[in-house]
Amino acid sequence: MDLISILATVILVTTIGTMVIGIGAYIAFKLRDKRKPSKDKFDSTLGTQGSNEPIFLNRFVPATTVNPTIDAP
Amino acid sequence: MAVKRLARYGAALFAIVSVFALVAFVYSQVGNTKGSFGVLLENYVLAIISGYLLIFLGMLIFRYAAMILLSFMEHLESMFKRKRATPQVEYRQEIGLPMVTLVVPAYNEGPVIQPAVRSLLELDYPNFEIVVVDDGSTDDTYEKAMVIARESRDIRVRVITKRNGGKADALNTGMSVARGEFVLNMDGDTKLSRNTLRACILHFENPRIGAVAGNVKVLNRENIWTNIQALEYVEGLAMARKAQSFMRVVNIIPGPLGMFRKSVLQQVGGYESDTFAEDCDLTLKILMHGWHIAYEPTAIAWVETPSGLLDLLKQRYRWTRGILQAARKHSHALWRPRSMGVNFYILWYMLFEGILWPFSTVLGNIFFVYVGVQYGLVTLLFYWWVQLTVLDVVAAAYCVVIEEEEPWLVLYAVALRLFYINIIDIAKVIATIEEWRGTAMTWGKLEREGKL
Repeated sequence: MDLISILATVILVTTIGTMVIGIGAYIAFKLRDKRKPSKDKFDSTLGTQGSNEPIFLNRFVPATTVNPTIDAP
Repeated sequence: MAVKRLARYGAALFAIVSVFALVAFVYSQVGNTKGSFGVLLENYVLAIISGYLLIFLGMLIFRYAAMILLSFMEHLESMFKRKRATPQVEYRQEIGLPMVTLVVPAYNEGPVIQPAVRSLLELDYPNFEIVVVDDGSTDDTYEKAMVIARESRDIRVRVITKRNGGKADALNTGMSVARGEFVLNMDGDTKLSRNTLRACILHFENPRIGAVAGNVKVLNRENIWTNIQALEYVEGLAMARKAQSFMRVVNIIPGPLGMFRKSVLQQVGGYESDTFAEDCDLTLKILMHGWHIAYEPTAIAWVETPSGLLDLLKQRYRWTRGILQAARKHSHALWRPRSMGVNFYILWYMLFEGILWPFSTVLGNIFFVYVGVQYGLVTLLFYWWVQLTVLDVVAAAYCVVIEEEEPWLVLYAVALRLFYINIIDIAKVIATIEEWRGTAMTWGKLEREGKL
């Protein structure tokens, strides 16, 4: 075999190999993506339902007080 | 939705039927020729594919030559500081420098947020503020950012925390509270070069420039994946983006570094969350409004790239689908060359790079592997590979010289063509098919290793 044939065979094997790896890696990435993330038992930010709620922002609720009246002098 | 899906499948069916009709027509024309239908079909299909691949190779050679020429023109232009428009505002005097707001969106960037913000405090510019938008992180991003905010005396650092709404929402929040006339948007894990603000602001002397795209370089060059990505970034920016900048039609302002006129961001309605490539979508909106976009190669954002194959595929999958979503969103420009002007070409070029190129590369590989195995013509695959590799090496050498990068990066051009592109292109092809089918997807976030 001449050099070109050897190199060509190497490229052929590499191309087939990388195509197989490409498809395999894609399947692996999709499988990993589908896996549900495990919840940290000690995550203090999780609510009772296991959902994340913002911990630094408290919703402002205006007080329901009657409008102050101004006494006439 | 169902009608749209039906229309897509109808179009695909029509294309398949058309191909078969064409083949049947050709067969009827050569019906007297000796040989079975199968052999004839194979010959015709192979002939059509080889013809297409030749045309594709010609397009690639033209693309590389045009890109190198245009980027070199841009390089010369920036070297000699030639200006096309008469500046109306002078941003070279220290006293006249306008205020710039740096918006840093951060979601679970705990390991990197402090060094990232600290490096921003070192920027060489007299008039800027930093707004860190904590996008509902579940780690200690907010507390760590607040430590920096309390420490900083000369430069104002504000930290805003909000319910998680995605990067686009965080950037819009930052924009809405920005006090600067100009807004620099970046990623939470990005480190900027000291001259970034001074270099970018000069472009705004031209009143037609609405935004400036920065240069992005790979910080974590630690293994073969990240080294190849380093070369990929250098090629993409030094060649493609510089060439686009010469034409004033940069088609993606990168997420890690983009500076905007605040008025332009407000005019186009800021970022939108309906695509997975909000930076590409915003860029297209700016272009559609008639603004020009410049590229500043000396303003550098150092970023952490995926160091493993699966994370890399995840990133490219999202980019591909995001760019396709953005292109589809602005698809009206695809069919109006007269009214859309240069945006017409930008969108078609995006489709060429996003769809045609990866499909053609994968098709070429399958074709030459088949011909090699079936007919023993393995050398054809070798010559196909050599032609593409020569293009890559020439482009890499040019870009490494222009960007004054490490010379050994050129060697990775061979590895890039040998296996990297094959793997990435397969992911891009599948991503395109899934986008076409409307498969659901999630954002996905690269886990930071804190390499800043």
